[in-house]
Amino acid sequence: MSKIILSSAIRGAHKIVDRVEGKINAALEKFGADQDVKLPNTAYYLPVIYGMTGYKVEKIGDMPKVIEMCRDLLPEVPSEEAWLPYLGPGLDAGMAACFAYDVEEALKYLEDPCPYLPMKEDPEDTDPDIWLGAADDVILRKRGVEFVDGSAPGFAAVVGAAKDVETAVAIAKELQEKSIYVFMAGPNPNGVTFAEQLKEGGVQLGWNTRLVPFGKDVSAAIHALGFATRAALTFGGIKPGDFKGNLLYNKYRVFAFVLALDEVDDEKYAAAAGAINWGFPTIADTDIPEILPTGVCTYEHVVSNIPQEEIVSKAIEVRGLKITITKIDIPVSYGPAFEGERIKKDAMHVELGGPKSMGFEFAYSKPLDEVEDGKFTVVGPDLDDVEVGGLLPIGIWIELAGRKFQEDFEPILERQCHHLLNGAEGVLHIGQRDIVWMRISKKAYEAGFRLKHFGTILHAKMHNEFGAIVDKVQVTIYTDEEKVKELLAVARNTWHERDNRLADMTDETTETYYSCTLCQSFAPTHVCVVTPERPGLCGAYNWLDCRASYEINPHGPNQPIEKGETIDERLGKWKGVDEFVGPASGNAFESFAAYSIMEDPMTSCGCFEAIAACLFAANAIMVVDRDYTGDTPCGMPFSTLAGTVGGGLQTPGFVGISKFYIGSKKFISAEGGLKRLAWMPKALKEQLKDLIDKRGEEIGIPNMYDLIATEENGTTEEEVMAFMSEVGHPALEMDPLM
Amino acid sequence: MAFSAVSEKYSGKMREMEIGTGDKKVVVGGQATMPFCTFDGDYPHRPVIAMEVYDVVDPEWPAAVVDPFKDVINDPVAWAKKNVEEYGAQMICLQLASTDPNGENRSADEAAALAKEMASALSVPLLVWGSGNVEKDADVLSKVCEVCEGMNLLVGPAVEENYKKIAAAALGYGHNVVSQSPIDVNMAKQMNILISNLGLPMEKIIMEPSTGALGYGVEYTYSVMERISLAALSQNDEKMQCPMINDLGKECWKAREVKLTDEEEPSFGPDMEKRGVLWEAMTAFDMLLAGSNLLIMRNPKAVKLTEQLISELM
Ligand code: SF4
Repeated sequence: MSKIILSSAIRGAHKIVDRVEGKINAALEKFGADQDVKLPNTAYYLPVIYGMTGYKVEKIGDMPKVIEMCRDLLPEVPSEEAWLPYLGPGLDAGMAACFAYDVEEALKYLEDPCPYLPMKEDPEDTDPDIWLGAADDVILRKRGVEFVDGSAPGFAAVVGAAKDVETAVAIAKELQEKSIYVFMAGPNPNGVTFAEQLKEGGVQLGWNTRLVPFGKDVSAAIHALGFATRAALTFGGIKPGDFKGNLLYNKYRVFAFVLALDEVDDEKYAAAAGAINWGFPTIADTDIPEILPTGVCTYEHVVSNIPQEEIVSKAIEVRGLKITITKIDIPVSYGPAFEGERIKKDAMHVELGGPKSMGFEFAYSKPLDEVEDGKFTVVGPDLDDVEVGGLLPIGIWIELAGRKFQEDFEPILERQCHHLLNGAEGVLHIGQRDIVWMRISKKAYEAGFRLKHFGTILHAKMHNEFGAIVDKVQVTIYTDEEKVKELLAVARNTWHERDNRLADMTDETTETYYSCTLCQSFAPTHVCVVTPERPGLCGAYNWLDCRASYEINPHGPNQPIEKGETIDERLGKWKGVDEFVGPASGNAFESFAAYSIMEDPMTSCGCFEAIAACLFAANAIMVVDRDYTGDTPCGMPFSTLAGTVGGGLQTPGFVGISKFYIGSKKFISAEGGLKRLAWMPKALKEQLKDLIDKRGEEIGIPNMYDLIATEENGTTEEEVMAFMSEVGHPALEMDPLM
Repeated sequence: MAFSAVSEKYSGKMREMEIGTGDKKVVVGGQATMPFCTFDGDYPHRPVIAMEVYDVVDPEWPAAVVDPFKDVINDPVAWAKKNVEEYGAQMICLQLASTDPNGENRSADEAAALAKEMASALSVPLLVWGSGNVEKDADVLSKVCEVCEGMNLLVGPAVEENYKKIAAAALGYGHNVVSQSPIDVNMAKQMNILISNLGLPMEKIIMEPSTGALGYGVEYTYSVMERISLAALSQNDEKMQCPMINDLGKECWKAREVKLTDEEEPSFGPDMEKRGVLWEAMTAFDMLLAGSNLLIMRNPKAVKLTEQLISELM
């Protein structure tokens, strides 16, 4: 912690504890030690003290012990020369300040008149004041549920006041729009409070509008921490006194932060230091020293000098709060029902991209501070500027940022455009990358749909569906022909790089593979082990997809597998993989060989794109894909083969594969790889010509393509063998398969 | 050589779930063997049948499920009592069909008030079931949880799209949750994980794998349940060790074979009641043999047959 903050916080904490000690003594004198003290209607005593230590304060006589605890926690104010690089003493001082505040606030309920409106959810105009004080247990339960189910993502504890009433109202509104509770306590140095500013601005305060005025004094901010502490006790099953469990529960589950508006004095530093214990960072508008390195809080601890206009979005970023958008604000309906909708020529208002023009979509990531979340811009003519039935080029340019975002997720999010945009009624989307073709219906146009709404949709859906990795989404729609051309060139460069990224990865240099057990729903023992050089057998999941899917949904069907020690390099067997496969297959299998068709081949579920099968007499293998229905040299057509091989079994001699895998260096490499391949359907062979040629070059058989027989050369093993000797197939010279 | 029975040993066991409080409490689950294999391991609790009560009855219902309740069919609380007192129900399932926005669209408050009235009036624990409308169920069931605070009800179904609201309310107000998944082992497991991540202990979750009636996919439900049991018992997969429930009454009584008269389909024969009762009882048998711990059923005779079977097997 920065030394200035640390010293101030410790100084502040001493001040608070001294003051509260005085108040306790005065109360002892006035009411006696037996006087009951409590917050109204709660079973949690003084909640911060109870939650952290398990100590129950029920009477004034119990309070001096709290001061003792505070004194134990309080470090010395560091001398000018001492150098204290750690958070520890500051956090302890903060905690001491919190205990003292807890006591100070409880004593207020003995004052006459009580400064709070106990057991009210909202202050009314007839009330003498606006301050509500601590939430009782009924409110805690009702509101706490919203924190658990995510309908309230967190709370902002606002201390001080905004620079003027309008700004206060704007900040409150922005927080409300994000469903964040606003807990208010404490004035600025001129005695103005944020809550009073809101009241002056005509804003309704109370639990029901999520704008909760706790108290006029800074000490009332403790009710925010009291709320958080009780939430952990009520919803987290945390035991009183388990301070570590309580604080961690809050760090990971209650997304709260402190907004310190206007000047921060020693007492407020102490309170801010207290809040850091719960993992709640402080964001200030004044130029106070920052504590950037992360440790206790998820990200930074104290961030300062943020203009009040930007303070909410900064706070959300610092606390790592995830935003969900419940309603997509567009003038047409949205839902999966509209995905299959077609828009005929005469029903269409405009066509975008497609074969007669240019159309592309592109998503990429940038640093957090370079993306403005929710900003949508249209560059070029909009839908009003074209004649009905007209044509425009289109470039959808999506800029993403997120703390956990990785470059590899870019293509996965980009691919979502199709299904996300298609969900809007009256919007048709076909293709991806640079073959995008869209139509917008007349009806959608008449309902008010414009190009910026693409941004609205992508922004909302990407937040909701990919919130785990996406924090900010900015969208620009280009219809200006020159711009589209220019940016398309940029996008093409990136696509090229992306395509090469996976191609450059090897199994040897990768430590983590991924499982896929999606197909266990119908093939209970099936497990795909996906490596950079061996995609899932359905062809839909490569290594990058699996990794992204894991990041997005850590409990889903794709789990990381640390491959561990290599058991057999040639077969592709690793200790970690075998250890995973056992339990994952329901102990049906003990070992998988990634590269072999003969020894412990991987299981085949049912959705393989193709099947590789051994032709023992020919000492070769064949591959047949789903689209080929005729006879094959192994004596079975695809459908019969699929029945034999599928269902989550290991069948030596047969293995389900993705088509793309045929071009991999690891394609059945234990048995010699592509060199073994002697037969495949003509259509498949043509489809994979580039792959085969490329791999043929690599293995020194540039004419490999011509050495593979198709149904035109025969569909029996004898015919294949005859063809092989005629062309001099390399498999004839290889070690026997068995 | 003397015959010696082979005994299967399992490393895992299902969790026990307590529903209701005080003398109303019922415990389900807890078995450490495959269904009814009492010779292989512990089978501490009999499967329980929750008899259905609807807050609104579909006019299409066949006579066999109207006649037994004719006098009380418009008074859900009286119907529930009749099920307990006359038909010996161990538990009641209140079906809040009226809350469906495509039907009567009754409010969450109204539904919750009825649930509370019923739960207080009964001497057995209550299970509260939504209309199946994902969004509305979230409102209705969370309200039920709030209003019935501390009664330790079982509420559901919570599905992927609405589990947060329902489970959070159950957690806040002390209830159990039905986690429903679409006939898919992975999803069943994932739902358990998602719900428990909110903070609701696994002891408070029961799984509904999506129930198909006899002739309408019962075999799919059967295999999914069998696989859940095997994962829980043989593989000791903790995330699969929640007990299971089947919402089968409504599936059975809408089957074609149950609804058609013998004029419409002479080959079915004239005894519609017998047909329906057997259809429901047979489906219940299948679910029991697949490992069910809690069955939601409608017809008293079918319930009686099923109870008999349970007694014979235990
Ligand atoms: S075939 Fe595809 S979807 Fe199925 S388990 Fe393998 S990778 Fe996953």
